Amino acid sequence: MRIVIGQGSCGIAAGAEKVRKALLTTDIPCEDISITGCIGMCYLEPIVDIYDDDEKLTRLVKVSENDAQKIAEFVRTGSEDAVKELFVSEEDKEFLSKQTRIALRNCGIINPEKIDAYIEAGGYQALRKALTQMTPEEVIEVIKTSGLAGRGGAGFPTWFKWNAARQAQGEEKYLICNADEGDPGAFMDRAVIESDPHNLIEGMLIGAYAIGAAHAVVYVRAEYPLAIKRLKNAIEQAKEQGIIGENIFGSGFSCDFMIKAGAGAFVCGEETALIESLEGHRGMPRLKPPFPAQSGFWRKPSNINNVETFANVAWILNNGGEAFASMGTEGSKGTKVFAVTGKIKRSGLVEIPMGKTLRDVIYGICGGVKTDKDFKAVQMGGPSGGCIPKSLIDTVIDYKALGATGAIMGSGGMVVMDESTCMVGMAKFFLDFTAKESCGKCIHCRIGTKRMLEMLDRITKGEGKEGDIELLEELCYSIKDGALCGLGQTAPNPVLTTIKYFRDEYEAHIKDKKCPAGECSDLIEYKIIPERCKGCTLCSKNCPVGAISGTVKNPHTIDTDKCIKCGKCYTVCRFGAVVKE
Amino acid sequence: MIHLTINGKAIEAPEGSTILEAARANGIDIPTLCYDKAVEIYGACGLCVVEAEGIPKLLRSCSAKVSEGMVVNTESDRVVRSRKVAMELLMSAHDGDCIAPCQLNCPARTDCQGYVGLIANGEYDAALKLIKNKIPLPASIGRVCPHPCEKACRRKNVEEPINIAQLKAFAADMDLKSDSYLPLKKAPSGKKVAIIGGGPAGLTAAYHLSVLGHEVTVYDMMEKMGGMLRYGIPQYRLPKEVLDQEINIIEKTGVKMKNNVKLGKDFTIESLRKEYDAVIVAVGAWKSSSMRTPGEELEGVYGGIDFLRSVIKGAPYDIGERVAVCGGGNTAMDACRTAVRLGAKEVYIIYRRTRNEMPADALEIEEAEEEGVIYKFLTNPLSFNGENGKLSSVTLQIMELGEPDSSGRRRPVPVEGKTEEIPVDSVILAIGQKLVTSDVSELALNDRGNIIADPDFFTTNIEGVFAIGDATNRGASIAIEAIGEADRCTKAVDAYLNGIELETRIPYISKRDESTIDYSDREKKPRFTPKVLPADVRNKSFDEVSLGFTEEEAKAEASRCLECGCREYYKCKLLNVAQRYEIHPERFKGEMPQKYSHDENAFIERNTAKCILCGLCVRSCREVMDIHAIGLMGRGFKTDISPAFSLPLDQTKCNNCGLCVSLCPTGALTEKSKLSKQVPLDEQYTEEFVEIDGKKSSVMVSRYNGKILRVIPNDEISRNANLSRDELEALLK
Repeated sequence: MRIVIGQGSCGIAAGAEKVRKALLTTDIPCEDISITGCIGMCYLEPIVDIYDDDEKLTRLVKVSENDAQKIAEFVRTGSEDAVKELFVSEEDKEFLSKQTRIALRNCGIINPEKIDAYIEAGGYQALRKALTQMTPEEVIEVIKTSGLAGRGGAGFPTWFKWNAARQAQGEEKYLICNADEGDPGAFMDRAVIESDPHNLIEGMLIGAYAIGAAHAVVYVRAEYPLAIKRLKNAIEQAKEQGIIGENIFGSGFSCDFMIKAGAGAFVCGEETALIESLEGHRGMPRLKPPFPAQSGFWRKPSNINNVETFANVAWILNNGGEAFASMGTEGSKGTKVFAVTGKIKRSGLVEIPMGKTLRDVIYGICGGVKTDKDFKAVQMGGPSGGCIPKSLIDTVIDYKALGATGAIMGSGGMVVMDESTCMVGMAKFFLDFTAKESCGKCIHCRIGTKRMLEMLDRITKGEGKEGDIELLEELCYSIKDGALCGLGQTAPNPVLTTIKYFRDEYEAHIKDKKCPAGECSDLIEYKIIPERCKGCTLCSKNCPVGAISGTVKNPHTIDTDKCIKCGKCYTVCRFGAVVKE
Repeated sequence: MIHLTINGKAIEAPEGSTILEAARANGIDIPTLCYDKAVEIYGACGLCVVEAEGIPKLLRSCSAKVSEGMVVNTESDRVVRSRKVAMELLMSAHDGDCIAPCQLNCPARTDCQGYVGLIANGEYDAALKLIKNKIPLPASIGRVCPHPCEKACRRKNVEEPINIAQLKAFAADMDLKSDSYLPLKKAPSGKKVAIIGGGPAGLTAAYHLSVLGHEVTVYDMMEKMGGMLRYGIPQYRLPKEVLDQEINIIEKTGVKMKNNVKLGKDFTIESLRKEYDAVIVAVGAWKSSSMRTPGEELEGVYGGIDFLRSVIKGAPYDIGERVAVCGGGNTAMDACRTAVRLGAKEVYIIYRRTRNEMPADALEIEEAEEEGVIYKFLTNPLSFNGENGKLSSVTLQIMELGEPDSSGRRRPVPVEGKTEEIPVDSVILAIGQKLVTSDVSELALNDRGNIIADPDFFTTNIEGVFAIGDATNRGASIAIEAIGEADRCTKAVDAYLNGIELETRIPYISKRDESTIDYSDREKKPRFTPKVLPADVRNKSFDEVSLGFTEEEAKAEASRCLECGCREYYKCKLLNVAQRYEIHPERFKGEMPQKYSHDENAFIERNTAKCILCGLCVRSCREVMDIHAIGLMGRGFKTDISPAFSLPLDQTKCNNCGLCVSLCPTGALTEKSKLSKQVPLDEQYTEEFVEIDGKKSSVMVSRYNGKILRVIPNDEISRNANLSRDELEALLK
């Protein structure tokens, strides 16, 4: 009997630690209670997994500390009645069963704080194999066969970067992991580090061996304290076992490990800015060329990959490049992890093979939109990505196919929107993010994104004018062409894709001064339809500014001059009498 | 060596060199703002982008290396588009005035801030030279100009505008009192130009063309040169002795002057055209406009300029004791004040609007009142009445102000049935003047009856004949307008004579949004106006009313200047790049990233509102000097350059080496000059050498009008010597 509590940041935020403490006060033996990382079903946290002696799993979801005694009773008596209402539904089980997990293979299963758990799950065998049986070139060849591409967003072939770093002149080289996951709505890297830190360490050590680096560095954002804590712990354990340090596995290969906590600038996810930050400078991109493979950290040859990329490496070495390449499409191999959020029924981490469609993710696994409104679009790739409309929901998950829509695979953030989302407002939201996160170095990004934001702001306030869309487009293309780094070059994507697919919404804002989604408060008015109003007075009682008048059982009216458009009346009305126009 | 093609030109470049280096070594100019050899490549400005065949992305040529067989285009449509948008964005966030509003509002673009600043520093001769670049008659113009410059002067937002016109007269008077400045002339061109009309327009064109080396002859119908300055402006406002002296100087530059010769009688445009390589028609507008009021034909009704001319010629019209002057402009003021001086007992100004709408100078209106002139505001002559052909009274229609008209002034409308009759001996119509069209019958006229002259080139319907001033296009205006046209026409004529094309594109300049300027930190200092003769003395005499500035007054008044125009104007790299293409930053008008600010130490002034974040200062301080006095702060649009913890520069490790200032491509960092009032000047920079601790060291020396204004360290030795600018200057041999 084992009781495992999902304790990623998400679980803990939902109350998993309280549940664990409550369980410790029951008669369940302490040694039977342990933790695991993120199980991936964020919408069901806290989750408690109970394995019986035959390793048969009973999964309890949305558990609270008050359920502790019931769980204890179930453990004691085996009576399902006590916890029946906490059982995960068959539908929800599909959320995981329909996935193919490689990068996340240990997440939510093993204890991330114990190296033995990782080793028991087959960990560090790939590293041993690489160090003792393979040359670095052979390792690179396997990665080449696998077709693994950078999971951070750009999708550059991993073997190519490794090979370039391997070939680069220089005694001292660095292998760097980019764990500065900054896209709003993306959290797969955090999940990997929190849930399976040794998998990252193993992937990095294999990479370090392949390129000939004796130094491995993880650049992780300081906003991930739990990830840093577990990674530090894992590094210590790996050092104790001789997996990090001198002459690993007696192979003669040595590598040290370092963690650098980034101070929270989005641009530090850009590899050259990350290097600047690592060196203690302000996080601003460097001009390429020279590329980091030639001149990176401390001007030494350096290779930088994303967490998810490294998380695939050990699996590939264990299972062979062909096995990985057997999944996916012509140009995109293996699996990809998506962090699905927004107006979706089942939000969380979804890992599926390339080649599946967006529909498979949104409807097949995540159950579609959670509101009664229709699905409208999905924002892929965060602020650097673009939005893909309902009409393109059968787009295949493939770097090229997604790129063709104007969006990008990106790091795998997926924000699902329904009909109540204003697409101009959405573009403005993401642009506000990039404009604030611009490092300020190049003109196009620093001033261009600000000017775009000002235009979008005017449009959503009803101050847009004829020609604004064209000017926005012109500016978008100029910024893509002229910006120094990926942040600026991709910043216009949300605007370009929303103009491409929802131009009529922009026009409605500009010409008719209307927000079709009813989200831009400057462009909407709340009204009460007298025929529907029962005179229940609920709206007028809730109006914070006293803008609603009327007597009991008689239709009420809204004084639009006083109304501050907070929408409170709209939410509280039970008769659908309050409408947005 | 690598072989490549740039803009169709086959080029060789050493391996490892950048496209930028290869291009520049071959005389191909690629603009940059953040690049300098002294520091590491940065890539911020993105202006150096070029297109290379087979490479989908634009390349930043400062970092992209040449490769064998590369085909580069540095000015492709895509490149130009990218640079233009970059500059538009950059200028939309650059809060600065290239040129002061006073200068921009002067029709002749006289460098008002420059000469005002030089006067504040006591550099009168330099001030005069600056003025004479535009106005060859500054003592006269300084006295009579309605000074549009002062209307634009921002000091009005603190209390009152700078007395720019009087300062000009002051500097010019100083010059007339000593060895007057004669400009250096260009070598003779062998070309001959005839100018018809010796008024402000004709004389200005004559002066400039003469300086440019052409042989100029001015033809004028009157006894003496000066045109309206002489025959339309009363002695008490512009003593003719002053005008004579200024015309003498023009003559000394080699201009030939022929008086008492009249177009159409003694010569024709065609006859001059045969004799000269170019002809400029600047005949002015010498006919008083009619009001089309019944009774204008009566004896005793005179035209304003005709009346003024009769007085100046010494044979004044008989105006009697009661005089009504119609009009509200400066000619009306001249007429009524002259009438007073001739002994008239009752002098009226008939004006259909109120004092506030009067186009005449406020000071003139006030001084006239002090001299006894009676204002009949909101009246309009309905008829001039007389007996036996001689004027006896004027009937006035009483008016009131209605809705504003196209000029923004409230339109006067008659009050039905309300009239007033005043007995008068004479009426002077001072409501405008017109070209005598019969004089210029050879030229094409517009429907207003003025000569049609091209607004850029001043050409007329006859090849080689140009026309300027009151006689052209929109008709009579103020003297400085004619002088401005003359100045621009000179360039057109010079280009015509030399067979070269004239650039007429008005280059972009940066202007601040007036509504955003904060004056609250400015100390209030009232405007100085020169002393004038007492009213009861001056109303009996034609002596000059104004006594002019004393030196102390002039310096104090000039020191009030707010220094709006940028001191780096003459060497601003940013402006240079901004003017390279036609740009429209107003498309992206929006918030400014930084507040206009001021931080200074003994040598350097900082204003981050003008900063373009090229980073040259930060990088040179770090990479070259290893001082780290300043750094980048903040993120995004609000990114700023500042000493650590936003301390003033004085509290940093800055050793005043001046490197950052010399690299700053715009006016964000400025090296102070030795002048106490800082002025934007076209300084001449030369590299010179000094000996520091036995070692030869380079310094940059800036001079203006022969004086050393700045000595700036220019190599490692001088930058690290920690010598003050005075100490460095002392080392100069």
